[in-house]
Amino acid sequence: MSDDEDKVWPTGLNLREAEEVHSYLIDGTRVFGAIALIAHLLVAVSTPWLG
Amino acid sequence: MPKLRDIALRRLASLTPKYLPFADVATDDVPLSRLLRLSLFQVTVGMALVLLIGTLNRVMIVELSVPATLVAGMLALPLIFAPFRTLIGFKSDTHRSALGWRRAPYIWKGTLYQFGGFAIMPFALLVLSGYGEAIDAPRWIGLSAAALAFLLVGAGVHMVQTVGLALATDLVKDEDHPKVVGLMYVMLLVGMVISAIVYGALLTNYTPGRLIQVIQGSAVVTVALNLTALWKQEARDRTRAREMETAKHERFSVAWRALTNRPGAKPLLVLIGLGTFGFGMADVLLEPYGGQTLGFSVAQTTLLTAIFAAGTLIGFAIASKALSAGSAPLQLAAMGAAVGIPGFLAIILSSVALGPALFVAGTLFVGLGAGLFGHATLTATITDAPAGRVGLSIGAWGAVQATCAGTGVLLAGIVRDVLVGLSPATGLSAQTPYNIVFGIEIAFLVATVAVALPMLMKSGRRPKAKREPVPQNNPVEVS
Repeated sequence: MSDDEDKVWPTGLNLREAEEVHSYLIDGTRVFGAIALIAHLLVAVSTPWLG
Repeated sequence: MPKLRDIALRRLASLTPKYLPFADVATDDVPLSRLLRLSLFQVTVGMALVLLIGTLNRVMIVELSVPATLVAGMLALPLIFAPFRTLIGFKSDTHRSALGWRRAPYIWKGTLYQFGGFAIMPFALLVLSGYGEAIDAPRWIGLSAAALAFLLVGAGVHMVQTVGLALATDLVKDEDHPKVVGLMYVMLLVGMVISAIVYGALLTNYTPGRLIQVIQGSAVVTVALNLTALWKQEARDRTRAREMETAKHERFSVAWRALTNRPGAKPLLVLIGLGTFGFGMADVLLEPYGGQTLGFSVAQTTLLTAIFAAGTLIGFAIASKALSAGSAPLQLAAMGAAVGIPGFLAIILSSVALGPALFVAGTLFVGLGAGLFGHATLTATITDAPAGRVGLSIGAWGAVQATCAGTGVLLAGIVRDVLVGLSPATGLSAQTPYNIVFGIEIAFLVATVAVALPMLMKSGRRPKAKREPVPQNNPVEVS
């Protein structure tokens, strides 16, 4: 990996741009994970599974 | 071998932009199809509004037997976030991004919140109503989960609408702004009407399972529509990205003061608040009014909503046309408020004389006034926005508009309930509580016109308003 900030990679993005796109993906996954966790907890409260 | 690698790389490079969510070229002329696609975010906003104010309101009280005061409190929660629209708009104006994006990240975040809220909402409501084993669960779990769900949806709606409108403003030329505003309003109305019909049909036979399906289905549809709307709309811009890096960070309070200290900015916000409040109280009361005092059937009251919507659409159309032709937005806003006054008068009088015909005419007029007023005030906000502060301006508009519309709806319900509760004791007739609320609305619309008139006179003296004079008899002075 080169550290050249301005090099445009075959994706059409340079390093910082790619990192930003990646950060949206990571943020989305985190929020999604938190939401899924809360939803599961709530379902477990009303209709418990696993005993 | 290196040749093969070159070919592969070139293929990759030509292929990938298709699968990346940004437009590479910002064309001067944005085709209508692209604007239509962008306006899909308004459909999701309309969907969320109908679900919160209409559908869930009923489902929570009737099917889940949650106390009405608690329901009203929960539904009022998203209102808390309405003032933050200014902050969201400002942050999107001054956002720093390596991609040169200002709006897209916020629409994406707002979509996530909307999705998250809808995803946990059905379970939160079931726990709140004590469904299944939840009857033994501590009360705070259901309460806090439901509050979180409503807050998330509310925050998402505020973000998506504010920043989405700012993006739409960014994309088109100045003279096309009235048309875009019209398009956005129409799509909001379309989203509300379609989702009201769909939710009504889906929830006729209520089961807890169906509730989960419907609300989580809304979550998926929201993400799908918003992503479709956002796809390739905002251009990637390396020059702008570099400018963002070096741009001096302005404080929100400074920008806010600069915005509100411009001449005519504060009166405009007051005008928006008064008028929106005046029209906002009508929405929820027209149907029960028709049912209780004029003996309309359910099908007929649904028709009333259609008539109201038709009036609003006509208002949007007139406003789009007049504003594109160069008439002053303020003048149209005042006209809209002025048209609403005889409309409400007709509605009040219909309980005394002439009955349904007058009532329908009044409904149409109120719809027309609301359409004119809404369109004209948003257009005024956008055209008056200082350079680089479009998001902040639209945020201020949205904060005032959402707060006043929301409190209008809530207050109308409360005032009516209180008065209905009083009537057996005091011997009031069925229409009196409604007529009092409609009377309050007339008072607010009169105040709106009263605020608008001095502004109009002032702007008439300002050389800026020296556009093509549009010949029209101004009904402001008449009423």
